[in-house]
Amino acid sequence: MSDEAAQLILFQVATSVFATAVRDVVRIGSVREIGADELVLDSALGRPYSRERGIVVTLDGAERTLVVDRVLGTRSVPAHAVQPLPAFAAACIRSGALAGLVLVDDVPMPLVDIPNLVRERVDRAAPPPP
Amino acid sequence: MSDTFDLDDESPAQQPRPARAPRGEAGRLVSFLRGIAEGRLDDRLDSTSFEDLALRAVAEQANAAAARAAADVKEARQRVELVTTGVDEAIEAMVRLVIEGDLSGTLRLGVRDAALTPLIAGVGQVMETLKKFVNEIREAALQLSTSSAEVLAAATQNESSTSAQASAIHETTATMEELKGASHQIAENAQMVASIAEQTLSGARTGEGAIKSFMSSMESVKRNAVEVDDAIAKLSKRVERIGTVVEVIDEIADRSDLLALNAALEGAKAGEAGRGFSIVAAEMRRLAENVMESTKEIKNLITEIREATHAAKEASDGNKRMAAEGEKLGGNAMQSVSGILSGIQETSDAARVIHLATQQQRTATEQVVQSMSEIEEVTRQAQAGSKQATGAASELTSLAERLANLVKRFKVA
Repeated sequence: MSDEAAQLILFQVATSVFATAVRDVVRIGSVREIGADELVLDSALGRPYSRERGIVVTLDGAERTLVVDRVLGTRSVPAHAVQPLPAFAAACIRSGALAGLVLVDDVPMPLVDIPNLVRERVDRAAPPPP
Repeated sequence: MSDTFDLDDESPAQQPRPARAPRGEAGRLVSFLRGIAEGRLDDRLDSTSFEDLALRAVAEQANAAAARAAADVKEARQRVELVTTGVDEAIEAMVRLVIEGDLSGTLRLGVRDAALTPLIAGVGQVMETLKKFVNEIREAALQLSTSSAEVLAAATQNESSTSAQASAIHETTATMEELKGASHQIAENAQMVASIAEQTLSGARTGEGAIKSFMSSMESVKRNAVEVDDAIAKLSKRVERIGTVVEVIDEIADRSDLLALNAALEGAKAGEAGRGFSIVAAEMRRLAENVMESTKEIKNLITEIREATHAAKEASDGNKRMAAEGEKLGGNAMQSVSGILSGIQETSDAARVIHLATQQQRTATEQVVQSMSEIEEVTRQAQAGSKQATGAASELTSLAERLANLVKRFKVA
């Protein structure tokens, strides 16, 4: 763990608040202005209520937008506030979407790897290979 | 002889001279004649005793005259006695016939004298007259008896009728007294009705004025409701316009928020170099969020205003409906009150007429009562007179019966 600060974006899906790394996000968009085929509505984070904002990421060169209820803003936290998942937990979960936990104002919240999350969602939605 | 006798001479020229009594033979002769004149017809002169031959002849003639007069007197006395007997017989016979009541026979006297003929004829005429009278009296008594019986029956009937009439008049008088009281009461009630009708008329006119005011108020309410309706429509349009503007502001704020988010994102990506940029972006975002909060509040207010406007519109529509209904009801009420006013006016007029009529009726009834009292008094007097008439008729009947019985005693056939 280095002493560099970690730049995070905090967002809310339904009633839960999550964090993601700034570097994974291309931009924040408005859902109304994004095509429906780019939107990822349902995910492991749950189903958003208002569906106003979208967090745009790139996946295999294409942009995908995770629909969320609110984007709370950016936060800069010390690097030690970001903790990876314990190995046992990572083994149990078997999903790459959960990158770890981060303490924001002494409140732990999940650190989400949105590109992996979107990928798993897209892979699960794709038809099985023949 | 005039030289010898100093006879009473009635000549006025000789009257004052004092009589000188004759003396001697002449005196005797005068005394004799004076006795005859005094009714001593049985006295006689001794004519032979007169020396004077002339006086002697006078004495003889005087004696003859005295004898003749005595005989005439005697004859007259006998005749008087005869006539007196006949008259007595006639009277006795007539009295006997009258007492016995038998007028059927004729008068027959034991004495016959021509001087009685007129008496007998007169008595016969009296008898005939009595017969006639008795017959007439009998017929009259019969008629009187019949008539008196009829009079008695009529008087009795009249008394009964008068009593019934008096009773009826008394009852009528009592009834008229009651009618008088009733008329008085009716007159008072009619006056009260007229007064109440006047008050009702006044109240109805006040009600008519109140309904007119109500109609005017309803008109004002309707006009105000239309104005309120227009104002609500304008307000609604302006609120819609505000909503549109707020939507635009909200959209701008949303875009500002999005822009600030991306700016903050880029600042965070830039690391330390983008720190100031991130701070500005955060501030922008905060402002945008404030604006969105405000627009949200404004939207809520607009929603409330819309609801209030809708409620006001409904209330205004309700007011218009109520005003229209109020106008309709007021019109109906006005029509009813007009009818009521007309009816009350007629009632008031009728009550006034009734009041006047009942006053006249009361006066007339009082006059009738007064007249009935007088009639009752007269009837009472008539009743008393009728009783007296009945008594008199009864007495008359008794008298007629008595008269008939008396007349029956006379036998005329």
